[in-house]
Amino acid sequence: MQKKDIGLAVLIIVVGIIVYMRNPLFLSPINLGNTANLIGLFGLFAIGQGFVIMTGGIDLSVGSVIALLGVLFVDMVGKFGVPWPLAVALMIVLGVVIGLAHGVLITRFKLQPFVVTLCGLLIYRGIARGYTAESTAGFPFGSSYPQLEWLTIGRSFGVPHSFVAMLIVAAIMWVVLHHTVFGRHLCAVGKNEEAARFSGINTRFVTIAAYVICAVLASIAAIYFAMFTKSVQPSSHGNFYELYAIAAAVLGGCSLRGGEGSVIGIVLGAVLLQELQNLVNLLGIPSSLNFAVMGAVILLGVLADQQFAAYRNRKNTERALGLLQKS
Amino acid sequence: MNVLELKNISKSYGAIQALRDVSLAIEPGEVVGLMGDNGAGKSTLVKVIAGNFAPSSGDILISDQKTVFHKPLDAQKAGIEVVYQDLAICNNMTAASNVFLGREPTRKIGPIKIVDYAFMRKRSAELFARLKSETRPRDLVHRMSGGQRQAVAIARTLLSDAKIVLMDEPTAAISVRQVAEVLNLIRQLSDHGIAVVLISHRMPDVFEVAHKVVVLRRGELVADKKASDSSPEEITGLITGAIETA
Repeated sequence: MQKKDIGLAVLIIVVGIIVYMRNPLFLSPINLGNTANLIGLFGLFAIGQGFVIMTGGIDLSVGSVIALLGVLFVDMVGKFGVPWPLAVALMIVLGVVIGLAHGVLITRFKLQPFVVTLCGLLIYRGIARGYTAESTAGFPFGSSYPQLEWLTIGRSFGVPHSFVAMLIVAAIMWVVLHHTVFGRHLCAVGKNEEAARFSGINTRFVTIAAYVICAVLASIAAIYFAMFTKSVQPSSHGNFYELYAIAAAVLGGCSLRGGEGSVIGIVLGAVLLQELQNLVNLLGIPSSLNFAVMGAVILLGVLADQQFAAYRNRKNTERALGLLQKS
Repeated sequence: MNVLELKNISKSYGAIQALRDVSLAIEPGEVVGLMGDNGAGKSTLVKVIAGNFAPSSGDILISDQKTVFHKPLDAQKAGIEVVYQDLAICNNMTAASNVFLGREPTRKIGPIKIVDYAFMRKRSAELFARLKSETRPRDLVHRMSGGQRQAVAIARTLLSDAKIVLMDEPTAAISVRQVAEVLNLIRQLSDHGIAVVLISHRMPDVFEVAHKVVVLRRGELVADKKASDSSPEEITGLITGAIETA
């Protein structure tokens, strides 16, 4: 674990204790289970967003991808009776296609990630609304898909499976980021693309792969969200989710300038965001203030982190100077 | 034996002749100072040697064998490494990770290949020891001095068993003390039998380490002589054109 991750974990615990003291329901099994479910759902695509941010890019289309694929998934399984494993596979393929499109536009056509994915945000949302003619997509009354439901909204020993899925994805991505050649190259490309290229790294491949990872995780999250809400309202489903993902990644220590980040940090960032949501509910703060609380805490957190890093740097410099004077 | 020989290399971009009949021979372990004003063709020459683009005419011989480079990787395989001024290093990574960037060693755990950090640290520590540099493999590059960064870049070339190292202005943006460090690194390379082509504007640096000085002016080679037979004044004259040839 990096120092930043530990700081974030401490913050989560401190906020948790405060909330618990004000409202003991915070640690009730039901509340923990529900919060874990949300952490799982949001964590899934925040990890993907983190990978994109580490290349120095950004993916603004995540929320719209979740809406579009959610609509398609619900319709396929509910309306057209496509077997759900096939539908899941199709969603993942669509995720790959969307990620590839973003990656190719950014690397081959040299468009800015912000612009490409902003257009993605508009296009996917628009298609979702157009395809459904603004009506809500839902499963037929009384239908049930036991295995699919077990995988997505089921629980074992009170632990929601969405949370388990997120942990599995996080474990895999942790190995990928910190212990594979691809992960090394991702950090290199994010920090200094030119250096990476001169070192013989296929920088285009690395960048495209990051966008594909992001879109695929978003498509998996889309399935989980669709199963969680059971119906998808195309104009509001997944709204602003890309910003949750970016916030989680930034809280988790990803630098928007690229090259820095950790999977543990992103997961902790997602945990903190949901904890704050929960705090608003439990402490009786009007839920309309929800965003304001979140924004304020993120701002304070990032500010504190920055100040703390500057303080550490100063200390280190002083120590080094002290050593020099002694010798 | 020459480790690198250029025979009548010319390179033109459309109507502009960037290099004209440049011939040059470099021996193993030789340090060559490549000098010239801006636009004299230094970069073009380096790029031709590094395989970035092919010469319009002329031959490149590596260890007395005619070679054609289609891409930079070909030159790298032939033992030519380029140390770019500040480009080739990622600040967010450790010295060891940078030394091995693009050629990370892996070991297998079951079906997955994971990066072998222990080996990277051990091997790069050996390389830094060989270069007599105090760089520590675990340190992040952004905390390092300019000299240490150069050591990292140069350790990369040792890793690939380079025969020739091209250095583009390695002393341009660093402090006086660090310059001495970099010049020492160059001597270390030379002691290991690696030829160094040093492109620099800084006359004192070149005269301190170079065995021979080569001057380009408007794409033509106007001087190729031992550093001990020349002087900074003469080289300045050759660069500006006050002295025709030497």
